[in-house]
Amino acid sequence: MNQTCAEVHSSAAAESQLLPAEISALYDAHSRAIYYLALRFLGDAHKAEDATHDVFLKALRNIKQFRGDSSARTWLYRIAINHCKNVRSAWHDRHVLPSSDNEFIERLPGGDSPLHILETKELGERIQRALDGLPAEYRLLLLLVSDQELSYQEAGALTGQSADAVRGKLFRARKAFAGLFAKTE
Amino acid sequence: MKPQNKLSTGRHQEQAAGEQTAAANSSALEFQSVEELLRHDAAQTAVPPEIARRLSQSIAQSRSRRPWWRKLLD
Repeated sequence: MNQTCAEVHSSAAAESQLLPAEISALYDAHSRAIYYLALRFLGDAHKAEDATHDVFLKALRNIKQFRGDSSARTWLYRIAINHCKNVRSAWHDRHVLPSSDNEFIERLPGGDSPLHILETKELGERIQRALDGLPAEYRLLLLLVSDQELSYQEAGALTGQSADAVRGKLFRARKAFAGLFAKTE
Repeated sequence: MKPQNKLSTGRHQEQAAGEQTAAANSSALEFQSVEELLRHDAAQTAVPPEIARRLSQSIAQSRSRRPWWRKLLD
């Protein structure tokens, strides 16, 4: 039986009420962002489910160490990035050829022009294929800065670089994504 | 009655054609940036409810496994 998006949301909200109070508010506010990052970074729905579960479990175990120096979203992203990188290094990098070839990216035709989507069917699959073709660092940066709750500075802190470095890399990441995305048509 | 039916059928056909065009138009989208496209994709992506269920079970299991003295300290 197919569930509509609204039904899945209400079902997810009902499920989150099963969680202890100290984690349910965090889960309600941030599970979508964490799941989306894991899904598109790892490229696999089952691995993303496992990762989201593990991230919130780790967060609960370490909740006393969260001092509020950063936002809860940034703190959870940090746990999620470390976790997803471990998952990738354990499996993905052994099975997928790295595509961080600078010349390859330079040759891609993408630019800053708007992205026109004529058919929204299978849009998620096309986005995933384009992201899969990017170097992991570019993929992560694009996913982080697409979250409007995160500044370039916070994205830089999460990836160990300055906000200016993030800006510079994003220019190339956008260009590479647009080129790869056009190829998925 | 028949002409009315014809008219009515014609209107239905026009309406159906209009709906098809609207549907085709609504499926065509333009995004000003990659980030905007990803935000749209994130908004369309639902979190599977199984995650919260599993998380709740894992928390319950880990709490039941804690030694009595640890429970007193927490």
